[in-house]
Amino acid sequence: MNIAVLLKQVPDTTAKISVSGGRVDENSVSKWSMSPYDEYALEAALKLKEAGGGNVVAISAGPSRCEKLLRDAAAVGADDLVHIMNDDINNLDSTQLQKLLAAAISKSNSSIVLCGKQAADTNSGSTGPGVAEILGASCMTMVSEVTKDGEDYLATRPSSSGHEKVAVSAPCVFAFDKGVTEMRRPNVRGIMMAKKKEIEIWSAADLDVDLGNSNVTINSHSPPPEKPPGQKFEGADSVSTVVAKLRDEANVI
Amino acid sequence: MPYEALDFYDVDSLLTEEERMVRDMVRDFVDKEVIPKIEHACRDGVFPDEWRVALGEMMVLGAPLKGYGCPGLSYTAYGVICRELERGDSGLRSFASVQGSLAMYPIWDFGSEEQKEYYLPKMASGEWIGCFGLTEPDYGSNPGDMITKAEDMGDHYLLNGAKMWITNGTIAQVAIVWAKLDGVIRGFIVEKDDPGFSAPEMKGKHSLKASVTSELVFQDCKIPKNRILPGVKGLRGPFSCLNNARFGISWGAVGAAQACFDSSKNYALSRIQFTHPIASYQLVQNKLSWMLREITKAQLLAYHLGQKKDAGTWMPEHISLAKMNNVDIALEIARVARDIHGANGILDEYCIMRHMANLESVKTYEGTHDIHNLILGRHITGIQAFTRDL
Repeated sequence: MNIAVLLKQVPDTTAKISVSGGRVDENSVSKWSMSPYDEYALEAALKLKEAGGGNVVAISAGPSRCEKLLRDAAAVGADDLVHIMNDDINNLDSTQLQKLLAAAISKSNSSIVLCGKQAADTNSGSTGPGVAEILGASCMTMVSEVTKDGEDYLATRPSSSGHEKVAVSAPCVFAFDKGVTEMRRPNVRGIMMAKKKEIEIWSAADLDVDLGNSNVTINSHSPPPEKPPGQKFEGADSVSTVVAKLRDEANVI
Repeated sequence: MPYEALDFYDVDSLLTEEERMVRDMVRDFVDKEVIPKIEHACRDGVFPDEWRVALGEMMVLGAPLKGYGCPGLSYTAYGVICRELERGDSGLRSFASVQGSLAMYPIWDFGSEEQKEYYLPKMASGEWIGCFGLTEPDYGSNPGDMITKAEDMGDHYLLNGAKMWITNGTIAQVAIVWAKLDGVIRGFIVEKDDPGFSAPEMKGKHSLKASVTSELVFQDCKIPKNRILPGVKGLRGPFSCLNNARFGISWGAVGAAQACFDSSKNYALSRIQFTHPIASYQLVQNKLSWMLREITKAQLLAYHLGQKKDAGTWMPEHISLAKMNNVDIALEIARVARDIHGANGILDEYCIMRHMANLESVKTYEGTHDIHNLILGRHITGIQAFTRDL
């Protein structure tokens, strides 16, 4: 029984973003990385494999640059690599993308799926629940840890009074919040093996998916509004004004 | 502010994907496990043992060696590893250089099959630490006149003498010791518990404070006959090791220089004097652009040397040039970086003074700056100028 983990390549959180033509200009992104919540999902998948066996299948959809992401996943221990090749991933809406991912999960014979709760670039948070809907699987969100419990799985997630542990059986999608363990660092052996690992490249046609037409149109992108300029106070006379502002406007004292 | 490695000519784009993955792995280790601890390690004068464990787990010890638990990466990859480690601290890179190039390499190249199988896997994993005993109190640049000697006692060898300035000595389980047997320099494997062997730590260093430096003392030190390295005689043995270590240093110095540049750029942009950031003043920009210029040249030197090392078209003189130049500019960059940081440059809140003090050692060890000039001078003229009859 395989364990699928969905990985998205996003601009590194330290990379500068520029918007051109109402879109994030991909060419200006200096560094692409694995989306941070996906890293927690991958680490949890590797732990599940170590505890209960099964192959970890890393699945990513996107253009050819995603090969690097898959090799990074292999370097830390992903067994099989699946690349859903799509050069224009940003023109797919969430539902179209979820159809591709769900088909790849089925084709990889995976009964449980781990992913990040949201991607660091779009933050839409729809992939886990959307894929679960298409697969007819249960979906656990905001998960920090998953362990095997006999035939079932035990997921830890926040509750109104702290944390709850929920038992769930396959098929199930686990959407990860910050996990209990950071993704492991690779070692040289893992990196050398990752280089040789074969990547399955699947298109929508290979997956027998009819993407149909998108129902979503993004009208525009705009950067966050600029912060208003700060206020400057000088001299001891201004103390009472500053205190009043901190108390009444900023509500910090 | 996250570290941004200066790479003005995008030299790293010439690396293989595998080499870049190794770079990212080591850089991540340095960011998360070295930078937060290095100043404490220096104040306490210790090499944190968890770094030994992590280096072993990453499999970067003896990385360019193949077999016996070693991965057989390219020498270029080994250079990249040294660069990233030394961006953290020269002491950390020294640990890896000594383990891989000075202790594991001679066993790998000159050892017997039994020696390789016994020692190398343990050293690659970091379980055992190695050190290298060549330099003596009175014989530094002139190791050929060493006085440490070995005697063949029939069923064992007897070692007598002393080595000095030995990185990792006190914490090592195994020492590669060069000594004269019937007047010929040979390599011997000495283990920590061999009778007559001790390795007291040298204290009071102002440089490489997070690295252990020791003396090795042999007083009728008795070692079994199977501990001689059978494959080499004469200075070629230790010099082969030093070539590899010096190669790593030529890359490592780039890492220290990059760290100083990164800190200087950030400091200059945020430090306000006369109502403007000091980065906006011509004198400071001149210093930063000089740093960029020298680092870029050093990167190209290191990369091309790596390619020559991997292709087998290198000469020891090529390594001398790169070691000498890159450490020289790194030290000068550290000094200029201290200048840019003003008084703040002397605090351990910044990496500057630590790198500067470290690089003073790096300039001298593994062939001094001047000796490398003489190696090049001999290459150019055909005349050795190391010594003369008086």
